[in-house]
Amino acid sequence: MFRTKFRSIVILVLVAMLTGVLGVSAQDGSVTFMSTQFNIVEESDKIRTILADFGEVEFVPSEEGPMIDLLRAEAETGEGSVDLIGALHGTFPVLQNEDVLFDLSDLLAQLEENYELPESFVELGKLGTADYQYYIPWMQATYIMAAHVSALEYLPEGADINALTWEQFAEWAKNIYDGTGEAQLGLPVAGLFHRFLEGYLYPSFTGGMVTGFKSPEAVAMWEWFRDELWPYVHPQSVTSYEFMQEPLLAGEVILAFDHTARLINAFNDKPDEFVGFPAPTGPAGLGFMPVVVGLGVPYTSADPDGAEALIDFLLQPETQGRVLQDLAFFPVVGGVDTTDLPEGVAIEAAAVEAQAASPDALPALLPVGLGDRGGEINEIYRNAFSRIVLNGEDIQTVLDDEGAALQSLLDETGAPCWPPDAPSEGACQLQ
Amino acid sequence: MTTRTLDPVQRRAIRQRQLRRASVYALAILIALWILLPIWLIGTMAFSTQQDVYGYPKQIAPIPFTTETMEFFVNQEGILEATRNSVLVAVITLVLSTAIAAPAGYAISRYFFAGRDAFRLGILAVRAFPIVILAVPLAVTFIEWGMFDKVYSVALMHTALTLPTTILVVSSVFASIPREFEEAAKVFGCNAYQAFIRVVLPLVIPGIAASAIFTFVMSWNEVFAATLLTIRNRTLPALILYSLNKSSLQFQYAGGFFMLAPSLVFIFVIRRYLFNMWGQITK
Repeated sequence: MFRTKFRSIVILVLVAMLTGVLGVSAQDGSVTFMSTQFNIVEESDKIRTILADFGEVEFVPSEEGPMIDLLRAEAETGEGSVDLIGALHGTFPVLQNEDVLFDLSDLLAQLEENYELPESFVELGKLGTADYQYYIPWMQATYIMAAHVSALEYLPEGADINALTWEQFAEWAKNIYDGTGEAQLGLPVAGLFHRFLEGYLYPSFTGGMVTGFKSPEAVAMWEWFRDELWPYVHPQSVTSYEFMQEPLLAGEVILAFDHTARLINAFNDKPDEFVGFPAPTGPAGLGFMPVVVGLGVPYTSADPDGAEALIDFLLQPETQGRVLQDLAFFPVVGGVDTTDLPEGVAIEAAAVEAQAASPDALPALLPVGLGDRGGEINEIYRNAFSRIVLNGEDIQTVLDDEGAALQSLLDETGAPCWPPDAPSEGACQLQ
Repeated sequence: MTTRTLDPVQRRAIRQRQLRRASVYALAILIALWILLPIWLIGTMAFSTQQDVYGYPKQIAPIPFTTETMEFFVNQEGILEATRNSVLVAVITLVLSTAIAAPAGYAISRYFFAGRDAFRLGILAVRAFPIVILAVPLAVTFIEWGMFDKVYSVALMHTALTLPTTILVVSSVFASIPREFEEAAKVFGCNAYQAFIRVVLPLVIPGIAASAIFTFVMSWNEVFAATLLTIRNRTLPALILYSLNKSSLQFQYAGGFFMLAPSLVFIFVIRRYLFNMWGQITK
């Protein structure tokens, strides 16, 4: 009895080993694409369907940590199985430190012959170096402005809605107030308002997110915000506006700022009544906050040519359009055909593209390098806002106080400056 | 004279015994429910319609019964292949781990040799070492040896991870078999090998089965090594565990059930041996 049992176990092991080994060797000749995006199974399935049109692609969703470990290990051995990686901008500085990525400048030159890539994102892909292209921008998500068509008649004379300045924007809000008797500009103070301060106002006025936190330009900005803009902001902004699509649809506000995902219902439900447009420009440029996803090729790629061909495929306007439709990430290239998309998505896509492609575009990235303490920086900006605008405290005093908190956060985490601030040696320092 | 009359002391003793019994049963039922209820909920939801999954209150049984969600889950690309990989890895791990742990456990429990205690401690030390800090060197070694992204390499890793515990369990099982049994067998003409195969092995099978369950379940649930060492040949947990909590509710139930089922089936198959062992202990 034992003998037969033994025999069956041995057979089982042999069969298991054989199938295991054979199963492996059968899958070569395809490009392995590891991505930290789309790692939910339903999303993986959608991106695989899109990738199937390219040819043999093995799409491997991964968490950020294991991906970095794996790339380090592959770099150490010089043998790789990952041909292409897709990750958030914030992942790439780590890979830059480990020095595991190819310079994609040549590929970029080729791509730019065929596609319009926003210069600002291409610059981000260099990670602060002069000419080393660590990643090619792949897709983005961001915040934009929305207006009800009834607001358009109050637009200041001679102003182009797609190229507003913040001064004009404030004037517009004031005109609405004067014309309708109500403050109808909505800001999601109960929602993602800190991004408005970090990624839009600060970069537009000071050219950076953190270094100019208490600079004279910042003082002027807060004065303007408090006196020229805030009086025309709907008072419910502070207490109840989290998703601006709701007050827009309810008609409480006719002008608003928010994340694309938090405006989409307004555009989708009433595409004829709402227009989307890029954020206004300030003295230092058009500050905006994109969530940029990039594509990089590891040194150890077994098939760099395949990887480059795949990058080309992913940047084609048709592919970008399908990603937008199925996975709600916005294109980085121009010329995406949005006629088949839901109208709301098409409206947003146009605004997102105009924003990133603006000649003054100044992309301000999500804080990089703060680790677990990423939330604290938001609190600092929000505190500054509450104290200056809501409580009417002295601007310079508040900025000095909160600036000290910001500096100690940066020192404790050792986070170097991230775009749009100029790169720093060691922890980022306020001016 | 009736034998049924009991004096108050006896009656109280009986009542006390009944009470104790009842409390033991209550506790047992509670513990069983604690484990069974979530399993039942996952099972119910995995076979319910989409509306029922989102509805409140949750129903007790999957009526109407539907395999829609499960089918959707199973048909996702890579799930079946990952399941096959997981089963393979678990089975190879189980076999290797048992094949190594049985002799090792026997040696530790039966023979006194120089460094026996150090050896025991050394085994445990493997387990005390956090695998996370080994991540990069491990991956480097596997790549250099050409064993990266293979099903059997994950199985080898899992074997290394489970061995310490398996060896300790198996050695305590061997220790519970009186040495006299073997000596008696030798008296009746067996050599050492025969004594082991014919006398000791049948007695330790239940214990080995228990350690096998442990090995199987541990390998089935292991995520870190599986994620680190594979790219294309992901095991089921490596494929879905990270992303499951970000997925839709139905998907979570379906995935949870799918992860759960094989372990349950395996334990059911092997439970006869387990009951044997417990029987030996209590009787």
